[in-house]
Amino acid sequence: MWQTIKVGFHKLGSPPIFYRVCQVLSPWLWAGFAVSLVIGLYYALYVVPPDYQQSDSFRILYIHVPSAWQAMAGYLVMSILAVIALVWRIRTTEIMAMSAAPIGAAFTLICLATGSIWGRPMWGTFWAWDARLTSMLILLFIYLGIMGLYAAFEDKRKGARVACILILVGLVNIPIIHFSVEWWTTLHQGRGISFVGESTMDASMKPPLIWMIVATKLLFTAALLDRSRNELIEQDRRKGWIRQKLGASV
Amino acid sequence: MFKSLLALLRRDLRLAIRHGGESLMPLLFLFAVLILVPLGVGPGPNLLSAIAPGMVWVAALLASLLALEGLFRPDLEDGTLEQWWTAPAPVGLLVTTRLFSHWLITGLPVILFAPLAAQMLYLPDHALPVLMLTLVIGTPILSLIGGLASALTLGTKRGSVLLSILIFPLVVPVLIFATGAVSAVADGLSPQAHLGLLTSLLILAVVLAPLATTAALKLNVE
Amino acid sequence: MIPQFEFAAFVWTSYAIFAIIVAWQIIQPILRRRRLEAEIREEMALKLGESTDDPNP
Repeated sequence: MWQTIKVGFHKLGSPPIFYRVCQVLSPWLWAGFAVSLVIGLYYALYVVPPDYQQSDSFRILYIHVPSAWQAMAGYLVMSILAVIALVWRIRTTEIMAMSAAPIGAAFTLICLATGSIWGRPMWGTFWAWDARLTSMLILLFIYLGIMGLYAAFEDKRKGARVACILILVGLVNIPIIHFSVEWWTTLHQGRGISFVGESTMDASMKPPLIWMIVATKLLFTAALLDRSRNELIEQDRRKGWIRQKLGASV
Repeated sequence: MFKSLLALLRRDLRLAIRHGGESLMPLLFLFAVLILVPLGVGPGPNLLSAIAPGMVWVAALLASLLALEGLFRPDLEDGTLEQWWTAPAPVGLLVTTRLFSHWLITGLPVILFAPLAAQMLYLPDHALPVLMLTLVIGTPILSLIGGLASALTLGTKRGSVLLSILIFPLVVPVLIFATGAVSAVADGLSPQAHLGLLTSLLILAVVLAPLATTAALKLNVE
Repeated sequence: MIPQFEFAAFVWTSYAIFAIIVAWQIIQPILRRRRLEAEIREEMALKLGESTDDPNP
């Protein structure tokens, strides 16, 4: 049993097998995403009654909270891939780590945009120097830095490894940044604006959240496989196996 | 081992003195920023003294970015960087030495001229020692983070724009704790907690940054 | 059919931003793969008869 798992993982390091696995898994993941998204949206927009404090604006949180979680979980996944890539020098994990960055950045962007839109009716302003919003903005810049660094290299393998180091540097720094920003906002709270306290969630408000969390996880994984496959095609475009794969599908 | 470290330090400093004008650029840049601020927000002492800690620190941060482009690149181009791996001293220590000389050239002048900058922005006199202390603890962190970023971008053609984007998220905690300490003193509070946290950041940076920098240099030399 | 919300503009703008960014996550890989496949086919057509292996791997 253990042996088969181990062999399976080793096989994923081989580009043609990895390509095939991405190709087979991706439609299923997209289908799962579509189903959970439809259920989640149905609950979020139709079933759940308005909140007594926030009225309907809390419905924004059904996309804001899962996106925020996925933005952070995405960084964690990317870091794990980066460790594997640096320690064992497996090319497919390098590619996956690099493909994870733009997806994580997209979720961070959703989180920031919806957070500031939610803030307008709740706080009275589009942007508040709230600890979580500020941390998310810095996280976005870390993601953009990783993408920019990778893009700046002509030798993609070298670029991926250097960017993997940056990913790990970011991993060490994110908790420190978050702590420092929280410290900073509590110190300056007197000068800021008063925030609406978060109401505790009623049980009836949870199902859409769970479905949306499942949907964002599936979206991340599906997009990750698709992007990794493309990156592999791009890097191996002059290799025989890619030409065979594409030639066969003409 | 110490001989090779000393030789590197001596060489770096001698080069910096020979290119005297270039080494003074960060300091001039610092004062350019500090002169532009009152011109931009008005010369009112109340406003200026309120933003003084932040402005001095932001200016110091921007000044530290200036000399980063030439931190490792000339050595990569003339091949001396590769020889670091055959030197009698561990590469991590050579990296630390190089960053120390970078700090002597860019960080130290900023610290020495900080009293003047503080006067120009009407920082309360009793807050000046703490400002100096935060600069003494904080500017080495800036050099360490800057060195890391410049090692990461070494293999790219146009590193300088990328450099500032990579550095900015990493220095956020330094800026928060350093200016927090100065503001606390200016408001009559104790800066101890801020200074303690800033010092722990320095320790963390001294331990971890050379490791990551060495790894990045190695990838770029290969 | 479309539910009436208080703060409707804010809610719908948020969901629209979500929809656009998600759509981009779906479309971008498809467009890129098409472009890559077209480019590679073109290269293959040009090099027809030659070896397809990289001369310096």
